[in-house]
Amino acid sequence: MLDKDLVDYALEHAKNKKIEYAEVRAQNQNREGILLKNGVLEAYSMVVNSGLCVRILTENGLGFASTNKWTREEAEEIVNTAFKTANSAKRKTKIKFVEEKAVKTSWKVQQKKKTEDISPEAKIDMLMEIDNTLTTQGINIPARMLSCSIALTQKYFVNSEGTIISSFVPLMGMYNFITIVENGKPEQAHKQYGYSGGWEAHDKWKVAEDLVREAKALQKLIKEGKAVSPSKMDLVCGPEVVGIAAHESCGHPMEADRILGREMSQAGKSFIYKDGSFWIGTKIGSDIVTIIDDPTIKNSYGYYEYDDEGIKARPRYLYKKGVINEFLHNRETAAKIGTKSNGASRAINYDREAIVRMANTFVQPRDMSEDEIFEDVKYGIYMRSFTEWNIDDRRFNQRYVGREAYLIEKGELTTPVARPIIETTTKTFWTAVDAITKTVVLDSGTCGKGDPMQGMPVYMGGPMIRLRGLFVK
Amino acid sequence: MSEMLAKTESIMKKGKSLGADEVIAKTTLGRYRQTRFSNNEIDISVAWNVYVTNVMLIWKKRVVATQIRNFQNIDATMEQLFKLAKVLKENPQYGGIAKGNFKYVTSMADKALRDLDDPSQYVKLAINAAIEEAGPETNTGGILFTKFEEIFLASSEGPTVQDTRSAIELSIRAFSTIDASGHGVECSSALKNFDPSKAGEKAGKIARLARNPKQGEAGKYDVIFDPLFWGSLLGSYAWMSSAFNVMIQMSIFANKIDQKVASNIVTLKDKPAAYSIANRTFDDEGHPVGETTIIDQGILKTYLHNTSTAKLFKTKTTGNAGLVAPMAWNIEMDAGDVCRGDMFNDLKRGLYLTNTWYTRFQNYATGDFSTLPRDGIFLIENGEIQQSFKDIRLSDNALKILSNIAEVSKERQHIHWWEDADPPSLCPYVLVRDVQMTKPT
Repeated sequence: MLDKDLVDYALEHAKNKKIEYAEVRAQNQNREGILLKNGVLEAYSMVVNSGLCVRILTENGLGFASTNKWTREEAEEIVNTAFKTANSAKRKTKIKFVEEKAVKTSWKVQQKKKTEDISPEAKIDMLMEIDNTLTTQGINIPARMLSCSIALTQKYFVNSEGTIISSFVPLMGMYNFITIVENGKPEQAHKQYGYSGGWEAHDKWKVAEDLVREAKALQKLIKEGKAVSPSKMDLVCGPEVVGIAAHESCGHPMEADRILGREMSQAGKSFIYKDGSFWIGTKIGSDIVTIIDDPTIKNSYGYYEYDDEGIKARPRYLYKKGVINEFLHNRETAAKIGTKSNGASRAINYDREAIVRMANTFVQPRDMSEDEIFEDVKYGIYMRSFTEWNIDDRRFNQRYVGREAYLIEKGELTTPVARPIIETTTKTFWTAVDAITKTVVLDSGTCGKGDPMQGMPVYMGGPMIRLRGLFVK
Repeated sequence: MSEMLAKTESIMKKGKSLGADEVIAKTTLGRYRQTRFSNNEIDISVAWNVYVTNVMLIWKKRVVATQIRNFQNIDATMEQLFKLAKVLKENPQYGGIAKGNFKYVTSMADKALRDLDDPSQYVKLAINAAIEEAGPETNTGGILFTKFEEIFLASSEGPTVQDTRSAIELSIRAFSTIDASGHGVECSSALKNFDPSKAGEKAGKIARLARNPKQGEAGKYDVIFDPLFWGSLLGSYAWMSSAFNVMIQMSIFANKIDQKVASNIVTLKDKPAAYSIANRTFDDEGHPVGETTIIDQGILKTYLHNTSTAKLFKTKTTGNAGLVAPMAWNIEMDAGDVCRGDMFNDLKRGLYLTNTWYTRFQNYATGDFSTLPRDGIFLIENGEIQQSFKDIRLSDNALKILSNIAEVSKERQHIHWWEDADPPSLCPYVLVRDVQMTKPT
């Protein structure tokens, strides 16, 4: 149920108060979740979640309130609460939203195969078949978790400046986690899939094929993997590793709310800050490194046409030719920094405040082939995928541990390498890049930020990249 | 019976009347308030009102779940849910839900937290305390969160019960300079025990001591973990104690019942007591919660179970049922016999780590992991802070950390912070020998 009249009523109620700005965002989401544990259907859930929120800006501050009770009394109550708490902030520095044009539009993502037309039995069978394929390969896989998710989200957004936007996005997701045991030693892997569109996602994904490949690679790693001798060497990163590095050490530090300190107590700040060593125009990588965040990639997991403040989405060139170029903004951060919003405001649900988020973050491809990138590496590591990773809360000191990795000797991939580690800084990593291939591969992820946590669907990826002289241990 | 409990029971009965074998309906009327602040000012005040009934329905070992919002469309939703159950495959591992008439302790939830409309005064107390400690240039940020929930649960297997749960917590991070910060938290189930200035004072003090940090050196150190840091690690151990995670090998504890997994001085319990912010009187099956000893003097005694996983492991439920998988409520580590001051005084050379984030595992089964210390990182020599460090990482093994615990303090603190120290815990200061630290190169 998404009662637009009630949403409009809430906005009118807010406009009758002494406000500077008000918006009402309503959402109706039909969710399905299927969980298969070690080949057994653990549970199947079907949920309809709908509600509305109001955000009000007054001269004293900002207030937000939400409810899932669709009545006029409740709508009035959340408006009154948001208005009251906005005023109770009594800020000395006034919050401003940068001026933007009002928009009246609607947009939707089509489902080529409607999920509503796929029976629950067929959805379960799809998971069962993947599990069956995986367990008939002659590999010991004692623990397997496969899950499938569907979220059909309808939104209706109105604000006091005249913006009215309706939207519909169907999101398909899959997640798997497996444990391989060989000679008594376990190795583990997990992978996420995401797509905006319909059930055709499952025709595009090759989940069983990917899992079998992963299982065989881990088995080989346990049998043949050698430790690396720690030293400086060349490193070739596959798209999965490139994606996580782009997300963690470019996308996150370029979020303007973080730069301005608004997330300081949770996700942290950024190595980029006013009057510091890094700001717009500062060199951060080699000349060939351009990293883009683009919500407009059709059928991507982070797809949207307008953000949750009603701002039209567009590609953002975060690092451009190795230089810090453009932050991710919402209307509040854009006003503080003196620019326009670039449509990066997203909320995971009606009961969450929209904050600055990434969408699909990737390294721009160049012209090298995959064979060429290995050719003149005399001795190095190819890190195809990663397991453990983390980064400090300024997004500068990071670590990636290889899951599937190989030694490169005289331009050829030779033996598997067991858990090679790079522990380096953002500047060292991106400055060491000297070659980039031409084919982008995007992986799905759930980006964590916000308090309460808002797990946001995103893509991250890129082509393969080569880094010269990085310390690998 | 209250009106809400009766409404909840009617949902359960609807499921039964359709032919379900077992049904649980749990209604939550939640009132949540949060004040977020940064740069010493309130950024936004957030209020959530939630009216939701979670339903789990079982028919011939087929398990389905849904949510009903604000008691709308009950019949249609339940009919759709039952229809779904009828086309599913059997879960042969399903072992039932709690059956019987149980006795419950009385809820001690604080109604003052239900009625608290404007908590901004508590934020200001915390900010002022931090500034007083670290100086007028101090920059703070954080959240104040309050919760008041009324829970109504009706199970076809007996339990028909209600509960109220309350919590207030404040988290504040203070920066005395751009690269010197401290973090403090204050958690309570009742307003009268809540002192936000304690959190501000601690954040400010650490931020002051952390000034002029130098790049830390890699190597093995004896480490004193602040309760805030230790709460993050306990969160990982708690998560890996769930029988569900054991079954998918996302746990270092698989196949280790009755084995030594920690130093003799380690006793870990799950205890959602009235003083905890995870206070509750029953789990999501309506089974009473209590005190569950997970590790007793270094020996792993049990996993955390619901009725179904308990049957698989040939034991009894520990009262940790979530609607699908068992989960920890509030982890407590028994106090040790060393005063905090003596723990520091006895440390000849080592580190004091005050907080961490971004804990990630290479392999949950083996326990290899790393985590990023943040806020104050101090080199201690002969009991005194010699130097503030930055940019080092704890890169070690979760089982080794448990085994190398050498001292546990008498003092303990209630901890909960964002996603990184969750579930809530009651944590002492802990001294661990030979912890591996690494740094970027």
